Amino acid sequence: MLLDYDRMGWLKIALLGFTALVAAFLLLPVVFIVLLSFGSSRWLAFPPPGWTLKWYQELFADPSWLEAALTSARIATMSAILAVVIGLLASFALVRGQFRGREILRGLLLTPMVLPVVVFAIAIYAFFLRMGLGGTTIGFVIAHTVLALPFAIIPIATALEGFDKSIEDAAIVCGASPLEAKLRITLPSIRIGIFSAAIFAFLASWDEVVVAIFMASPTLQTLPVKIWGSLRSDLSPVIAAASSLLVGLTLALMVVTALLRRKFQR
Amino acid sequence: MSVETRQSFGIVRMPAGFGGLLPALILIALFFVIPVLALLLRSVTEPAPGLQNYATLLYDGTYARVFFNTFLVAAVVTAVTVLVAFPVAWMLAIMPSALASIVFGVIILSMWTNLLTRTYAWMVLLQRTGVINRTLIALGIVDQPLPLINNLTGVTIGMVYIMLPFMILPLVGTLRAIDPMTLRAAALCGASPFQAFRRILLPLSLPGIAAGGLMVFVMSLGYFVTPALLGGTSNMMLAEMIAQMIQSLLNWGLGSAAAFILLVVTIALYALQLRLVGPRRMSGGN
Repeated sequence: MLLDYDRMGWLKIALLGFTALVAAFLLLPVVFIVLLSFGSSRWLAFPPPGWTLKWYQELFADPSWLEAALTSARIATMSAILAVVIGLLASFALVRGQFRGREILRGLLLTPMVLPVVVFAIAIYAFFLRMGLGGTTIGFVIAHTVLALPFAIIPIATALEGFDKSIEDAAIVCGASPLEAKLRITLPSIRIGIFSAAIFAFLASWDEVVVAIFMASPTLQTLPVKIWGSLRSDLSPVIAAASSLLVGLTLALMVVTALLRRKFQR
Repeated sequence: MSVETRQSFGIVRMPAGFGGLLPALILIALFFVIPVLALLLRSVTEPAPGLQNYATLLYDGTYARVFFNTFLVAAVVTAVTVLVAFPVAWMLAIMPSALASIVFGVIILSMWTNLLTRTYAWMVLLQRTGVINRTLIALGIVDQPLPLINNLTGVTIGMVYIMLPFMILPLVGTLRAIDPMTLRAAALCGASPFQAFRRILLPLSLPGIAAGGLMVFVMSLGYFVTPALLGGTSNMMLAEMIAQMIQSLLNWGLGSAAAFILLVVTIALYALQLRLVGPRRMSGGN
């Protein structure tokens, strides 16, 4: 009876209790960081002696934080757009193409996701140093597009596999050109995959630390590089304020995703 | 791009539907394959041609320690992650969907939250004067603060935290695919719950555990951020050592050789995992 939820007895209670504990463990750092950012202790005492907004004021008073966030947003947006466009074209070929070695090519395109980032980071760092692209926005965007591409291909290819191609063919029989049928029938049908791809690709760049640490220059810092630098010097509560804003962004993305999913699936 | 038309580029005829792959292949070849191969080349040419970098890494005790430590941490993290993830995935697979969606929400929130944010939170929580030590002392469980950070304990807690979603989510799929009838049949035939678990539920979920565990192990081997921030100097892991060799010591030969060893181990384990799950499920399952 181990898979009958209603007939497990005491075992169910024990396992549910354990699940609740693990959920609390997963939630703990996220909730903690938000509470900490409003605490008045510079030495991060918890529970804090009082509540304050001064870390947020300090955060916004320092233009380098805002600048780093804008740099990250710029690079992540460009990388996500590139990864989705390239990934969309690749997905059509991977799902519908009839050629040998398709699975191997799929594996090759997904490799950047599974190989240790540190290996890619030093490889691309050395390569860009020689090409004069080190510490440039273009260099950042190229490196992050490579890393984001698998995150774009997986949801799009999955959506495309679930789409019945005969609907597209029907549009062509009714007089649409192949391109028109793709743009007006197929793309809207797999929009949920494209949308997930855009979010995952954006996050892959926005949260990326390792390549960014190597690629960054004093004049070009992404938000993770800025946080990394602060973390290595001290554990200032300003980092907690910045982190809480990032948690807020994550929550907003989750809500938007859930709402759009609901809307798309109607 | 389309299946209907055969495209030709000059005299080279391409198979149907291949053209769409070109931008992706050019990107990956130019900015992934070539840089990685160039790095491999540096490991056998700098400072002089030969395999001396690999010899240094394998025979010098300092580096051997880092390799040992890396495998140790990855193994401990994988074992703990599997043990914690299994009961949670089990419940998620059979729980009423309203309750399950709350737990899934928590998992996604934790997974999507910025990596540095999560690690920062653990750095503060695990400090000598942090909340966890203060709570333990207040409860009278310990009278001295426990050393929870800058050591193996800190790395394990931080890494298990990050890896749990990657183990739980695929395992839920495996467990959901098991027919509850098989367990009912076992119970009817007189198996005790423990016997049914050991002889039916566990063996049937083993492919999922193996695939997820391998993924967690591979990811842990090459992890950089969390071990660098939560670990101590005496138990450095491979990825941090590689970064240090390049960034601080500018020793490109040794750094690339270490990177290449990490690469080969990862690819070997990844190939093993593909054997276990098959490429289809790897790419479609997430």
